[in-house]
Amino acid sequence: MTTNASAAIQADNLSRVVPLGERQLTILDDVSVTVTEGETLAIIGASGSGKTTLLGLLAGLDRPNSGSVSWHGDVVSTLSEDALAKRRQGAVGFVFQSFQLLPALTALENVMLPLELAGARDAQSRAADWLKRVGLGDRMDHLPKQLSGGEQQRVAIARAFVASPKIVFADEPTGNLDTDTGAEIVELMFTLNREQGTTLVLVTHDPELAARCGHVVRLARGKVVQ
Amino acid sequence: MNLIFRFVRRELRSTEARILVLALALAVASVGAVAMFADRVKGAFVNQANVLLGADVMISGDRPLPENFTAQAVSLGLKVTQSTRFGSMVSAPSKDTPLGKDSALTDVKAVNAPYPLRGSIEVRNAAGDRVPFKADVKPGEVFVDERLASRLNVKVGDTIELGKNTPRISLVFAEEPEVAGNFLSASPKVLMANADVASSELLGPGSRATYRLQVAGNKSQEFAELVKAKLGPGQRMETVRELRPEVRSTLEKSEQFLGLAASFAVFLAVVAIVLALRRYLKRELDTATLFRTLGAGQRQTLMHFVGQFFVLAIIACLLGVVLAYAAQAALAWLVRGLFASDLPPAGWIPLVKAFATGLVLLLGFAIPPLVALSATPPVRALRRDMPSVGSGGVFASILGAVAVLAVVMMQSQDISTGAIFVGGLVALVAAATIVAMVLLWLIRTLVRSGKLSRVGGRQSWVYGLANLDRRRLSTALQIACLGLGVMTLITVGFVRTDLFAAWQKSVPADAPNRFLINVQQEQVAVLQPLLPKSSDGKAAEFFPMVRGRLIAVNDKPVTAKDYPDERAKRLVDREFNLSATAKMPPANKVVAGDYFDDKARDVMSLEDGIAKTLGLNLGDTVTFDVAGDKITVRITSLRKVDWDSFRVNFFALVPEATLAPLPKSYITAFHLPKRDNKTLASVVNVAPNVLAIDVSEIMERVRSIVDQVARALEFVFAFTLVAGLLTLYTAVIATQDERRYDTALIRTLGGTKSQIRAALIAEFSALGGAAGLLGVAGSMLLTWVLATRLLKIDFVASPAVWLIGFFAATACTLLAGWMGTRSVLTTPPIQVLREG
Repeated sequence: MTTNASAAIQADNLSRVVPLGERQLTILDDVSVTVTEGETLAIIGASGSGKTTLLGLLAGLDRPNSGSVSWHGDVVSTLSEDALAKRRQGAVGFVFQSFQLLPALTALENVMLPLELAGARDAQSRAADWLKRVGLGDRMDHLPKQLSGGEQQRVAIARAFVASPKIVFADEPTGNLDTDTGAEIVELMFTLNREQGTTLVLVTHDPELAARCGHVVRLARGKVVQ
Repeated sequence: MNLIFRFVRRELRSTEARILVLALALAVASVGAVAMFADRVKGAFVNQANVLLGADVMISGDRPLPENFTAQAVSLGLKVTQSTRFGSMVSAPSKDTPLGKDSALTDVKAVNAPYPLRGSIEVRNAAGDRVPFKADVKPGEVFVDERLASRLNVKVGDTIELGKNTPRISLVFAEEPEVAGNFLSASPKVLMANADVASSELLGPGSRATYRLQVAGNKSQEFAELVKAKLGPGQRMETVRELRPEVRSTLEKSEQFLGLAASFAVFLAVVAIVLALRRYLKRELDTATLFRTLGAGQRQTLMHFVGQFFVLAIIACLLGVVLAYAAQAALAWLVRGLFASDLPPAGWIPLVKAFATGLVLLLGFAIPPLVALSATPPVRALRRDMPSVGSGGVFASILGAVAVLAVVMMQSQDISTGAIFVGGLVALVAAATIVAMVLLWLIRTLVRSGKLSRVGGRQSWVYGLANLDRRRLSTALQIACLGLGVMTLITVGFVRTDLFAAWQKSVPADAPNRFLINVQQEQVAVLQPLLPKSSDGKAAEFFPMVRGRLIAVNDKPVTAKDYPDERAKRLVDREFNLSATAKMPPANKVVAGDYFDDKARDVMSLEDGIAKTLGLNLGDTVTFDVAGDKITVRITSLRKVDWDSFRVNFFALVPEATLAPLPKSYITAFHLPKRDNKTLASVVNVAPNVLAIDVSEIMERVRSIVDQVARALEFVFAFTLVAGLLTLYTAVIATQDERRYDTALIRTLGGTKSQIRAALIAEFSALGGAAGLLGVAGSMLLTWVLATRLLKIDFVASPAVWLIGFFAATACTLLAGWMGTRSVLTTPPIQVLREG
C-alpha cells in the first residue's frame, strides 16, 4: 500500500458492499481519490451513485470492505472504532445537510460541544468567537428551533471549524436551503476554509458549488467516472 | 464530570427530559406516599391491637426479669410497668357448702401502678354496657372480674382469702384490656397489688409464675429490637400476634392489603418510566451519534450517558421524595379522626425505599439501551435512515425484570408477592406481544385485501389502523404498557371492592363471640336448648375436649428441653387440647395426607403450623398423657386452619372412638348480642361449673381494625387510581411525536381535519381496545392469584367490573390520545414539520 505523505487524504481502491436481503449490493467499487493539503474537493453524481458513502469512508465514519484511507500519511481505515474516534477529535470537522444540531442546546453550546468533548478549558470563549465570525454574535443563546435554516447551518459551520481541524467534510451543505441562503453558506464556508488553510471535501448536487472546488470526483454506480 | 452536569442543565430544557423527570418523580412520589402512609396506618392499627396486650411490648420470664430491661425502657422514655401472673385458689365464705366457704381457681395478676399501659379496665354501668374505668389497685385491696364475683357470690366491700391475706374487693370489673393469651385455660381474673405478693406467701421457691415487664411509648419497637438480642433462657418477647392467631391473621392481611397498594404503585411507575424513557432515548440517539462523530469513544459516550442519567434520576427521585412527603401528609390529613389515636409519625425508611425504587427502576431499564446507544455507528450522522440501535435485547428484559423484582420485594418485603407480580409482568409482556402481533396481522390482512376501504368507503381510518402496523414495535410496547396500566387499575378496583368485601365477610357480624368450656357430657343436652341457634338455624354444636401433655414422639420421650424453639418449648410444657369430630370442621383445609374417616382409630389430624414448630411430619406417632392414661396416635393429615373464622378450632383432632374411653369435657361457641345478660345467667344457673369466655372484645378490636384499614385503603387506592390515570396520560402523550409529524405531513398533502380525526380515532380505539382486552385478561388472572394464593379469600368477581374496565380503558386511551394530538390540527403543519 502506498501512502502519500503530502496528501491530506489518500484513498486507494475503496470498495463498500452491503447485504441486501440475500444479495450483496456494491455501493462503491474500487474507488481511489487523493486530496492534497488545503485543496477543495467536490464529490458529485446522481442520487444513489455512492457519494455519501465515499464521504463517510474518507471521513472515517465508516470502514471499507477493501482498500484503505489515510490522513496525512497515516492509515486510518484499519483503526478500531474508538481509535478512529480519537483521531477525529479536533482533526476533522463536519457540516451536514440536516445541520445535526442538538435541539436542547443553545447555538453557543452546540458550537462548544467538540471542544468540551476534547476537554478544552476555553470552550466558551472560542465558541463565542466563532459564532461572531459566522455572523451570529447576537444569537448565541438561541435554541436551534428559534433559528432559520441558514442560521442553523452557520452554527453547524462554526461547530465544524471551532476545533481548528485540518480537514472539513460537508455532506450537501446547501441541500436543505434556498438558493440565496445556500450561496451565502457556500461563500462563508469557502472563506473560512481559505483563512484556516483547511482541506475541504464536500458532497453536492449543485454544479455551481462543484465548480468552485479545485478538484471534482464524479461517481456513477459506485465508480469514478471523471 | 462537569460536562455531565452542564449537559443535564441543558437537557432539562427539553420536553422529553422534563417528561422523564416528571414521570419518574411521580412514580417515586406515589410509591413513597403509599408506602409511607401504609406504614403510618399499620402503626396505628398495631397500636390498637396491642391494647389486647395491655402494652406495646411485653417481656415475660419464668423468673424475675433483670433490672437492666426496665432501665433500658426508662432510658428510652417509655412507660413501664411490672406484673406477676400466677394461678391461685381464692375462697370466700359460703353458707351452701359444708366447709362454710367456696373456692375457685383464679388467674391472679399482681400489678404495679399504672396498669394497664394501653386500653383500660372496663366496668358495667347501670344499663349493662361496658364502660372504661380508671383506677389503680391499692395494697390490701383486689379487683375481681364478674365471673369470679358471680362464682363466689361476692361483691364490692366483701373480703376474700388470697394466700395468707384477706384483701377487700374494691372493684368488680367486666374486662381488663389484656385479653390475649390462651382463653381456653383462662380462669376468672383477680388483680392485686404487687406490694402484697410477699405477705400473701403465694409465691414460694418453685412456684409457677410468669414475671412480666410491659412497656408502651413511641420507641417501643426500638426497645423490642434492643432487648430481643439480650433475652436469656426462659425469657420471651410476647406480641399480640403470637398470642392470638385471629389477630395475627387480621394484622397480616391488613399489611398485605397495604403492601399490595404499594406494589401497584411500583407497577404504574414501571409503565411511566418505560414509556418516558423510550421517548427520551430516541432523542438521545442523535446526541450519541454526534458525540461519536465528533470523536467521543464508545466508553466516553457510555460514561457520559450513564452519568447524565444518574444525575437526572437523582434530581427526579429527590423531587419525588418531596412530593411523596407532601402527598402522604395530605392523605393523613384526609383520614384524621378515623383512628382512635393520631397516626404515628412517618418514618423515613419508606422515603429511602421510594428513592431507591426510582433509581433502580430507571437505571435497570436505561442501562441496556444506553450500552446499545453508545455503540451507535458515527456514519448514522450521514444516513439517518439507518436502522436505529437495539434496546439491549434479552439483557435489557432480564435486567428490567430483576429491577422490578427488586423493588417489589423491597416494598412488600415478601417473596411471594414479588414473585406473583414479576410473574404477572413477564406473562403480560409476552401476552402483549402476542395480542399486538395478532392485531397487526389482522389489520395488515384487512388493509391488503382492500375489504376495509369498502366498509363505509372511509379510507382515512384504514390509514389510521395501518399506522399501527407501520410502527409495529412501538405499537406492541404501547399495548403492553397501557395494558399493564389498565390491568393495575382494574385490579386496584377489585382489591378495593370485591376482595376487601370478601375479607370483611370472613368475620361475619354473627360470628361466635362466646365460648362455654368445661361442659360435662350430661350437661350438653340441658344447655343446648338454652343457647341461641346459629344464623343458619342449627343448634350450637358441642365438641368433646381432653387435655393431654405431649410425652413422646415416635416412642421417644420428649420434654421441653429437647426443643430449641421457645414456642415449641411452651407447647410441650403446656397441655394440648385434643378434640374429636366425625367430619372435618369448616374453615379447615387438609394440606397433606387425608382426613380420617369414621372407622379410623388412633390417628390424628394436626394443624400445619404447630406441626412445623414441633418438627412433626405425616406418619409420625405421638403419645399424650391424659390424666394418667396414655394414648398414642399416628399423624395422618395436616390441616391449615382459618383463624379468622372465630369458630371453635383445634390444633389436634382425633376420631371420636379414640376419645371415647377418656375423661372429657365439652366446648361450644355461639353468638350473643352485646346486651344479652340473660342467656349466660341461665347457663350458670343450670351448670355452675361451666366457664363462659367472652371474646367479643377481641372480635370488636379485629373488626374495628378491618374497618379502619378499609377506610384508609379507600384513600390509598383513590390516590393510586389518580396517580395511575396521570401515568397513563403521560404514557399516551409520550408516544405522540411520530403521530404529530405524520399528521402534519398528511395535512400538507391535503388531508382534511375530519379525515385526520377519523384516522386518529381509529388508531387510538384499536390501541385502547387491545390494551383494555389485555388489561382485563391480566387483571382476571392477577386478582384470582392474589385472592387464592396470597390473601386466601373465597372470591367471585363480578363481570361488570371487567366490562366497565374494558370500555373505560378504550375510552380513556382515546381521550388521552386525542387530547395529546389535537393541537396538531390547529398548529400550522410547517411548524410541526420544521420541529421534526
